[in-house]
Amino acid sequence: MKYNYKHFLSLAMMVLLLPSFASAGTYVRYEQGGKISWGELKGDLILELSDAPYLGGRETGNTVKPSIVRMLAPVDPKDVYMTAFNYKDHIPPANIKTTPYPGVFMVPAGTLIGPEDNIVHPSDSANIGYEAETVIVIGKRAKDVSVEDASDYIFGVTAGNDVSVRDWIDADIQWFRGKGAAGLNAVGPVLQTGLDYKNLTLTARLNGEVRQRGNTSNMIHNFDEMVSYISKYFVLNPGDIIWSGTIGTSEKLNVGDTYEIEIEGVGILKNEIVQGE
Amino acid sequence: MIKIVSAGLLAALMIVGNATAQTYVRYEQNGMASWGELKGDTIEQLSGAPYLEGKSTGKSVKRADVKLLAPVEPKLVFMTALNFKSHIGDREPAKYPGLFTVPAHSIIGPEDNIVRPAESKNLHYEAEMVVVVGKHAKNVPLEKAGDYIFGVTAGNDVSERDWQRNDIQWLRAKGTDGFNAVGPVLVKGLDYTNLEIEGRLNGERVQGQNSSDMLFDMNYMVYYISKYFTLEPGDLIWSGTMGSTKKMEPGDVYEVDVEGVGVLRNKVEQGK
Repeated sequence: MKYNYKHFLSLAMMVLLLPSFASAGTYVRYEQGGKISWGELKGDLILELSDAPYLGGRETGNTVKPSIVRMLAPVDPKDVYMTAFNYKDHIPPANIKTTPYPGVFMVPAGTLIGPEDNIVHPSDSANIGYEAETVIVIGKRAKDVSVEDASDYIFGVTAGNDVSVRDWIDADIQWFRGKGAAGLNAVGPVLQTGLDYKNLTLTARLNGEVRQRGNTSNMIHNFDEMVSYISKYFVLNPGDIIWSGTIGTSEKLNVGDTYEIEIEGVGILKNEIVQGE
Repeated sequence: MIKIVSAGLLAALMIVGNATAQTYVRYEQNGMASWGELKGDTIEQLSGAPYLEGKSTGKSVKRADVKLLAPVEPKLVFMTALNFKSHIGDREPAKYPGLFTVPAHSIIGPEDNIVRPAESKNLHYEAEMVVVVGKHAKNVPLEKAGDYIFGVTAGNDVSERDWQRNDIQWLRAKGTDGFNAVGPVLVKGLDYTNLEIEGRLNGERVQGQNSSDMLFDMNYMVYYISKYFTLEPGDLIWSGTMGSTKKMEPGDVYEVDVEGVGVLRNKVEQGK
C-alpha cells in the first residue's frame, strides 16, 4: 500500500479527533417501572449503567428505548451552588451590590425537576421569572483546587432553568425561598461530557421566541474560577452542580407558557408552566 | 404496707417517666462512626440513627474512650435570621421566618475546634437551639408539626460578619466548612418551646434567652418550611440567635448551653 499526503492527513485528523470523541458521552437519568437508573444514550437506545457515570457506573448489559421511559434530571447532587450576576449583561437591580468575586449561594437538591416535569407556579406568587443557565457537574472530590487544576474536577455539562419567584426574593431576607423552593429548578435533558464548557452558546425561547442568548466565554467568573473559589470554602463532592448565573434580562413566566433552553451539544430543556394549588 | 410500697414504686416510675428524655450521641472509635444512646458513663451502640429506628446492637463503650461527633447527620440544614426580638434591634419583626441554608459539611462536633480562616478578621459566635426532624415532612399543618420534631441539640452558628456584610448572599459567611458546631448530645423528650439557651465567651455569659421568646417557634418553623421544601429525617432547623454578638479570637472558648442538652464547648484556633 502506498502512502500519500491524504493518508497522512486523515491519520492526523483521526489522532486529533479521537481524544475528544473518546471522552464525549451522553448520560441520562430515567425512571422505568418505578426504578431510577443512570444510562448512556447511544443513538435511540439507552445503555443502563450500574451507577452515576461520575461514580464509575458501568454498563449492566440492559438496554431500553428512550421513548418508553420517563427522563429525570440528569444530575443527583448533594449540593447545588448558584451564582448571582455572573454575566455583564445581567444587570443587578439598583438595591443589589455586586462583588469582585463570585456571588455564590445555595439551594437544596430537592428543588430540582427534570426535562419532562412541569414548572409549578406557586399560588401565593404573582411574579415568577425564567433564568436560562449552563450547569456543570463535579466529577471528583474537590477542596482547595487551583484555577489551573479545576478542569480535572469538572465532569460534564447540562442546561438549567433557575426559575425565580421575584416577589418572594423581594420580600425575604435571603433569596433561599425565592430561588430554592421545591420544583423551581429544571435541569436536563442530558449530561454531556467532552464539551468545551468555557465556550458554549446558549439560546432560550419563551413560547418559541428567543429571549436569552449568550456564551459561557462571557461569564465574569468562568467555571474553572468558580470551582476554585467554591472549593476554598466548601468541599465539593462528585455529582455536585454549579450554575453559571443567567444572561441578559429575565422576564415573567405565565401559566401555559413554555420555556426552552438550548445549549450546543446538550440539546433542549423544555418545561411548561402550570398553576399550583 | 403494700400500698405504700406500690405508691412509692409508682412515684419512682413517674420520676423516671418525667425523665424519659433519651440522650443520643454520635461517636468515633477506631475510625468508625456510630450512633449510640448515652446512659450514665456508658454509650450503648445503635445500629443506625435513632430517628431512623436504630436499634441496640448489644455493644457498649465508655463515653471517655471515644470522640464525640456532632449528634446529627442531616441532608439539609435550615437556619433562620432575626428570630428573637432581642437580636433584631430597631428592625420591624418579619411576618414570616427569614430562612436560609448552609451545607451539611459545614458542621463540626463538640470535640472539634472552630478554625478561623486566615483571611477572616471578624468571626462571631451565635448561640442557638437546634431541632432534628424525625419524619418525612411536606405541607405539615401547624397543629401536627410537633409530631415531626425528633429532638433537640445546641449549635454555634459561627458567622463571618465582614463576609456577611460584603457578599451578595450569606452562604460563605454562615456556611463555610467548619463554621457550625453542634452537640454535645441529641435529646428526645424535651419541651423545645420552653428551654433556656445561654452563650458564654471564656466562661462569661454574653447571650441568653428562652426558646419561648422565639418570634416563630419550632412548630411554626416546621409548618412554614414544609410548605416550600421537603424535610427528611435528620434534617436540622436552627432557632436563630439572640441578643448581640461579638467577635471571637484564637484561643477563645465559646460555650452554648441549652437546658436539658448540656454544654457545647468549642475552642477557636487560627487557620492557615
